[in-house]
Amino acid sequence: MAKAFVIDVALCSGCYCCQVACKDEHCGNDWSPYAKPQPDTGQFWLKICEKPDGTIPKVRVTYTPKLCNHCERPACIAACGKEAIKKRDDGLVLIDPEICTGCGKCMDACPYESIYKNEDSKLCQKCTGCAHLLDSGYNEPRCTEVCPTGAFQFGDESELADLIKGADVLKPETGIGPKVYYRNIPGQFIAGTLFDPIEDEIIEYARVMAVSGGKIINVLSDDFGDFWLRDLAVGAWDITITKEGYEHKHFYNLRTDECVNLGDIALDRKA
Amino acid sequence: MSIDVKDRQKTFKAASLMGPRSGLPTVVDSDGEKITRIRPMYYEDYANWESLNPYKIIAKGKEFTPPKKSLPAVYYLSYKKRVYSNNRVKWPLKRVDWNLEGERNPQNRGKSKYERISWDEATDIIAKETMRIKEKYGMSAVLAEADMHGEGKHVAPSHGCMNRLLALLGGYTVQMRNEDSWEGWYWGSKHVWGGEPVGQPQPSGNVWPDIAKHADTLLFWAADPEVTAAGFEGYVPSKLSYWLHSLGQKFIFIDPALNFTGVNQADKWIPVLPNTDAALGLAICYVWLTEGCYDKEYVKTHVVGAEPFFDYVLGKTEDGIPKTPKWASEKTSVPSYTIKALARHWAKNVTSLTIGNGGPGIRGPYSHEHCRIQSILLSMQGLAKPGRHLAKWLEWALMSKDYAMPFQGIEEMNIPHRAELVRPAGALFDEDMIKEMNKRGMSDVGAIDAEEMVRRLTEKDFGFAEVLSMSDAQKKVGRLVEITNPIPTPPAQAVPKCMVHDAILNDEIEWYGLYSFCGPVKEQWDKFKFPEKNCSRIHMIWTDSPCMVTCWNDGYNFVKALQSDEIEFVVAQHPWLENDCYLADLILPVQTKFEMEDICDDATSGGITSVFHEMAACPPVGESLNDFDCVAEVARKIGHDIYMRYTANETTSADCVDLFWQGSGVAHLDTEDSFKNKGIFFVPCKPDMQETIPPGYRPFADDPENNPLKTPTGKLEFTSTGLQKHFPDDKERPPYPIWIEKGEFHDESLSSERAKDYPLLCMSNHGRWRFHANLDDITWHREIETMKIRGKDGYQYEPAWLNTKTAAELGIQHGDIVKVYNERGVVLCGAYVTERVVPQTVYVDHGARFDPIDPLWLDRGGAVNLITPHAISSKNATGMVVSGFLVAVEKVMDEEMGAWMKKYPEAFARKVDPDCGVCLDGWLV
Repeated sequence: MAKAFVIDVALCSGCYCCQVACKDEHCGNDWSPYAKPQPDTGQFWLKICEKPDGTIPKVRVTYTPKLCNHCERPACIAACGKEAIKKRDDGLVLIDPEICTGCGKCMDACPYESIYKNEDSKLCQKCTGCAHLLDSGYNEPRCTEVCPTGAFQFGDESELADLIKGADVLKPETGIGPKVYYRNIPGQFIAGTLFDPIEDEIIEYARVMAVSGGKIINVLSDDFGDFWLRDLAVGAWDITITKEGYEHKHFYNLRTDECVNLGDIALDRKA
Repeated sequence: MSIDVKDRQKTFKAASLMGPRSGLPTVVDSDGEKITRIRPMYYEDYANWESLNPYKIIAKGKEFTPPKKSLPAVYYLSYKKRVYSNNRVKWPLKRVDWNLEGERNPQNRGKSKYERISWDEATDIIAKETMRIKEKYGMSAVLAEADMHGEGKHVAPSHGCMNRLLALLGGYTVQMRNEDSWEGWYWGSKHVWGGEPVGQPQPSGNVWPDIAKHADTLLFWAADPEVTAAGFEGYVPSKLSYWLHSLGQKFIFIDPALNFTGVNQADKWIPVLPNTDAALGLAICYVWLTEGCYDKEYVKTHVVGAEPFFDYVLGKTEDGIPKTPKWASEKTSVPSYTIKALARHWAKNVTSLTIGNGGPGIRGPYSHEHCRIQSILLSMQGLAKPGRHLAKWLEWALMSKDYAMPFQGIEEMNIPHRAELVRPAGALFDEDMIKEMNKRGMSDVGAIDAEEMVRRLTEKDFGFAEVLSMSDAQKKVGRLVEITNPIPTPPAQAVPKCMVHDAILNDEIEWYGLYSFCGPVKEQWDKFKFPEKNCSRIHMIWTDSPCMVTCWNDGYNFVKALQSDEIEFVVAQHPWLENDCYLADLILPVQTKFEMEDICDDATSGGITSVFHEMAACPPVGESLNDFDCVAEVARKIGHDIYMRYTANETTSADCVDLFWQGSGVAHLDTEDSFKNKGIFFVPCKPDMQETIPPGYRPFADDPENNPLKTPTGKLEFTSTGLQKHFPDDKERPPYPIWIEKGEFHDESLSSERAKDYPLLCMSNHGRWRFHANLDDITWHREIETMKIRGKDGYQYEPAWLNTKTAAELGIQHGDIVKVYNERGVVLCGAYVTERVVPQTVYVDHGARFDPIDPLWLDRGGAVNLITPHAISSKNATGMVVSGFLVAVEKVMDEEMGAWMKKYPEAFARKVDPDCGVCLDGWLV
């Protein structure tokens, strides 16, 4: 049965415990024939990628752990001319340090940039799923074990089926069957704060409508005058803000390649 | 296939970064020689889960239960790197140009390097020097700096083994730690609601379940549980905040920076200029008063002195300024419509205010004013009514008989330790606190027998250091008395930690109210002085786990003090060559707690409380000894009698573990010998805790007449009767709290004349990847992008956060090497340009290691406390100020760096590890 990882991005606090536990296990420890040591710094068999979005004060940071996807049809295996990379019965993909010559073809082939070249040992290296521990009776790799919020889980794909349902994989277009699933990857946002400059008051319950192609999203501003249009697709959006007694406000063709904070928006009272 | 995964030796360890009683158990694997890995502990491996009565909070149809495994913070998981850091002190070191018989060159402290010497030579020197100083000046010339921010240990603790030895030699001078975690509450809120001993609400039992059940909104006012709680509790607070958020509670963050909890849990971030929170609070009060949206009935029955304060807010007092949202907006940078929205949201929704011992409440100028205003705001909305509390994300078991989270055990435990925090003769205690501590034996705050205490309180001149810090359980174990309390004479005098530089550089100093750590409010009315009658000035310093330059006030001035030729000898003991160690003449190598046997308790994690036996996880690094034995080797050189008394007749670590377990207060519950056989005993949770313990100040809220607070009137005092009586004319802490833009002691606002030269407010907090000044050397942390910024010269600089707009105005780009400076000196950092911090501000966390280029004014390590303000919190409040102060930030140009390199070739030539930073090799000749 294939092993899989599931990451709930909404629960990831960015504590970096997974990245550090991976280093605790694999830096300075030689787990041959599973893997030679990971270099102390600069390489990350598990890497937290942090991405800040928005501008003050509408800001968020999304943390995404990235690792070898232990794919069903690994591009690295196909690329390796030495047959150094093997997929185990449990689905974990391992680079045999005895065979690997460090040629780097697997690195080029991996769409997830999860393979590193260890210049000291002249090896290509990556996440082993802590197979050495699993084979010694441990239930899970170090990274998932130390996750304090339960955001990061490991197990048989069938046992994780409920969590995997509706989850995304990275770069699905590669079609190589990645086994790291992500839940709740947030979409883009457009946000702002509405206020009445004459009254010096926020404006609550204004309707903010966003339109892109055929898609329409409506939200109301809250008791801070804030509105958040969340989980938007990347594209061009038209925004219309309406509130009884105020002139309409429009923003056209807002690109959401990056998240957008429209800032504090003054609405004018109707004459 | 299976291989040797090097886990044959399993030991339990807590990193205990905040002293004894902090931390949670992890399992450390080793192959007998070297630590392999550090993992969470699965409690069910050692106990039947159901038999532990795991608690359950039920709110809004959801449950919160303790995790079945420990949730160690990231620091625990990387601690192997700390043990094997290339910054470890491996052998005794002596400063090359300090000579016992010849030139001592005090002016070179912080500059000159070290040479390896033998233990024999090192202990000879310390013994001879100590006795020479005693002979020449008396023992009071020796200052012991031993008070927290190192590893928490019991058998051989950091923080004060030398106290035992110095006390055996006669009354020395003790450095009295100021209330660095609680300054604003201690010097401020105490005068509003009592809250002895630290000024935060006391009792605080069971507040979190009440908040879960009843609160709609949590204000994170400078609270970051992902950061400040982690070193104490691990990640149960993190789990708790995610759970509370899932209940639909609205999370509002008031903070100059979008902190590490806020980045993905904030529903609303209100950026505020550093240390302007008091103005924000006053404007909230103004809205409530003018719109009538506060609990008037509660104020009528529970509060005294509301009118003068309300008059001040409304502008009816001398200054004539109404504290309107517009007024506050100019000071805080928060739009006035947002201030009004916040005030109304708070009034309309059941709101609790949460803190994490950070921010303006402890660290800013006049922190007591902000905290008093915060206490008043909570009171105006019915403090301690359902869901309305001040709640802390950490210290859930601090000096309270009941825990804020329901993980409290069926019986209280406490492990003794061999380095009591001692107080000088004449120090005061809060009597109720003593009774409570005595019951629990809270040795870390110096508990003693209650009856004995009362007797001594009435016999004024009697020293307390002699008395016993024993709980009832501990007293039954007779030898504990001998082991933990050999101290025959109390220290002769004390110096506040935040005034040590003054004590050295000035003829004499005076201060109010700090003569004991966590003293009662009445101590605040007393004036103390140094040197005391018949006592000496300081001529020798013995310091352990030192961090004055990295955690305290005006670090460069501390360096200046230590370069004084009055200071004839400085000895440090520490596992790592960092912080103040560079100012020492002799350094003793100390084992980390991973290399020694110990006993530890988990009364903080919020999971299940436990006592566990910590075996050595690996052999000692180099020639290091544990803290207790370092001092013992000196005692041996002083004389056999002293040595035998110091070691309580050579009591071994194993004996101590056994006796401390017997005295833990819970040994009698361990009917299956779990501690002995499995190495850990879990104390089952008190099953009816949530039903039987009223949350926080609830009894007072329900019936104030019969449940008075510990204020003079028993009520909430918006105008303090104590301050009115003792300091009626104090302009910086008047009887009711006020906004102080500029005062006699501090002038740190953007409106100041000084802001022409220093136009940014510097904010500083606990680092995300350090704990105080610990763990700055962990390579796996230093490669995280918010931990260090690698400059173009390859050096890893401490990040200085600048808003995108501010950086652009200054011509600074992300990654640039910058200088953060003011009149006190320069600290080099790496620019971290971000939208996560408010403009006109620079944010540099404290605790980066000192890497002196010129130890009096130029540091490359980013130790921002070197340039924090010198003055105490305010005229009559002896706290420290380490955030919310004026600085300038500029890009360091190549020419300037080049000039420094030319002027200080030796400092720049010191070896720096590209990934670990400053290291031992750089400081050896």
